[in-house]
Amino acid sequence: MDFERSDTQRALLDALGTLLNRHAGPQRCRELAARGAYDHELESELRAAGFLDVFGEADAGPLEAVLAVEQISAQLGAITPVPHLLVLPALGLPVPEGPVVLADRDAPGPVRYGGEARQLLVAGADRCATAELSPDDAEPVPSAYGYPLARVVPRLAENLAPGTSQAMINWWRVGVCAEALGMMQRAFDLTVAYAKDRTVFGRALGSFQALQHRLAESSVLLEGSRWLTYEAAFRGATAESSAVAAAYTMAALHRLTRETHQITGAVGLTREHDLHLWTLRLQAVRAELGGLRAHRRAVVTSRWGVAAA
Amino acid sequence: MEFALSEADTAFRSDLVGFLDRELAEGWNRSECGLGSAVYTDFSRGFVRTLAAKGWLTPHWPPEYGGGGQGAWQHFVLGEEMWKRGEPRGPQYMNVNWVGPALIKYGTEEQRRSLLPPIARGDVFWCQGFSEPEAGTDLAALRTRAARDGEDYILNGQKIWTSYANEADYCFLLARTGSVADGRDGISVFLLPLNTPGVEVRRIDGFVGEHSFNELFLTDVRVPGTCLLGEENKGWDIVRRTLAYERVGAPRYARAALVLDGLAGWCRAAGLLTDPGVQEQFGDARALCEAARVLVYRVIDERAKAKEPSPMAYQARAAMVQAERAVGDLALDVMGTEALAEQSRGDAQFRNSLGAGIAAGSYEVQLNLISRLILKLPKG
Repeated sequence: MDFERSDTQRALLDALGTLLNRHAGPQRCRELAARGAYDHELESELRAAGFLDVFGEADAGPLEAVLAVEQISAQLGAITPVPHLLVLPALGLPVPEGPVVLADRDAPGPVRYGGEARQLLVAGADRCATAELSPDDAEPVPSAYGYPLARVVPRLAENLAPGTSQAMINWWRVGVCAEALGMMQRAFDLTVAYAKDRTVFGRALGSFQALQHRLAESSVLLEGSRWLTYEAAFRGATAESSAVAAAYTMAALHRLTRETHQITGAVGLTREHDLHLWTLRLQAVRAELGGLRAHRRAVVTSRWGVAAA
Repeated sequence: MEFALSEADTAFRSDLVGFLDRELAEGWNRSECGLGSAVYTDFSRGFVRTLAAKGWLTPHWPPEYGGGGQGAWQHFVLGEEMWKRGEPRGPQYMNVNWVGPALIKYGTEEQRRSLLPPIARGDVFWCQGFSEPEAGTDLAALRTRAARDGEDYILNGQKIWTSYANEADYCFLLARTGSVADGRDGISVFLLPLNTPGVEVRRIDGFVGEHSFNELFLTDVRVPGTCLLGEENKGWDIVRRTLAYERVGAPRYARAALVLDGLAGWCRAAGLLTDPGVQEQFGDARALCEAARVLVYRVIDERAKAKEPSPMAYQARAAMVQAERAVGDLALDVMGTEALAEQSRGDAQFRNSLGAGIAAGSYEVQLNLISRLILKLPKG
């Protein structure tokens, strides 16, 4: 066991941090969100620097790809890092340019970047299907949650090999955990800093034990999410490890959202404050794959071999 | 990062599992039930001697004191496998996990020679004399006095919540050698044989499992100066350093996960495991057990690397409390009135979970420490 980042991981994250500082962050995210746009420029920078190939590299791998997804999400990178860095490489599929949509046949609904994506990957009962998308296949859905959403109905789909569906779902679960982790950490850090700086009744907000305990519990949830997610990636996203990570992380997400907004008060509800950039996007992550309830039930299926009624 | 045990530790785990399958096959049906009953304690006396003979009671101690010189992970794997079976070592885990190591680190040569071998053989029980009626979590307020009288000390005072004192041979006791105003700086550790005249043990019946607590009354108890561990007035340091890993020393999540598996079997037989609501509760409880496991592993990794203990242990401990509570609540929710039957899975887990956030430092104290030491929030 070794819970420390390796030299390779540190170097990878440093390089990615430098790239993201130039091409992502709250300011860039606000500009793109105003237009509902995908960040093609960021994607091509990441591609050129090799970050889209990390999953299959000999000196890196799935865990490093998860660390990268986490960091891209923390920096509000307006791309689709989960399909690009995790799901497509795990299925041995090429990573096309532009957004890719992941969809679950059992949990239909609007999808992130559905209007702009030209490729869709759907999890069926056993096999995945891929489909080319055209603008006519998508119906945009107005939304306040930070991502451009659309309902998509693809016309032609091509089935992949048997068993691909489970692999896709497992890596997708690990992916939403990594995204959530990056965004939760930033929302939490911002809130802790606020609790230290803001004075009420002549003392720092963060000196009230009622709030300290809630922040402390949130930190436990955050760390639990972190290490379950990394461990699931290390184990190759087995059905159980990925479901467990998602069940825990999505419950943490629910709690973190409430606590960060309660503690930052009215200012945290404004557009000028940055908190919502992370907390609203988190809700899009929360809803994928059927959400918390589905993740928890998937734990039971994988652990005790029971299907849902 | 690497989330797998070494080959040697994995091989040790499988040896151990095979050994436990054989040794616990007879006479041990309490793996999911209560800790602390007389039947349990008696079983553990025989069992720990078998373990000791195998070299697995104190594998992490240095060889010169009856240990196997093994690393932190092997020691932890041992603890985890024991808790997965409901901890058949009974009260012994305290001796081997921290009483022994404290003696090794702070004891005199004579103390080590006389006190360590019986622990390594599994022949003695120790109990922990920390809490007092006026000082539980707030140890700095403890009042039991140890007054010097020539070469001896005279102990007077009262301890409470002392698990296993009714069975134990020795008590690892904190007493005040300085003034109350000195707070933590006036406390010393005494290694007190419980058969010393003036020691009286009174049982307090608890309802958490079959466990009982005890009070310890000390009336003019005369002990020789050789019972003092380390320097006078430096007891707080010894306790702080020795107990740094005690927070995660008992991997309670392993037992909670065992109970959860048992409950899943019960629910399957009752036709409940396909119910979506029941499934959600099981998924949540399993995730909480797994999070506790991985957070504890993180602390053990630190220990294996011989780093100074960090406050991460408090997060791990808080996660263990959450896991135990979730499984306890689930047990009552899914089993209904069946859970009320004595020694049913639900009964044992629920009653156990009531004590989870109280024993070994309250849940709220862990949260205070996280706030102060990890989040660096300002003092109230």
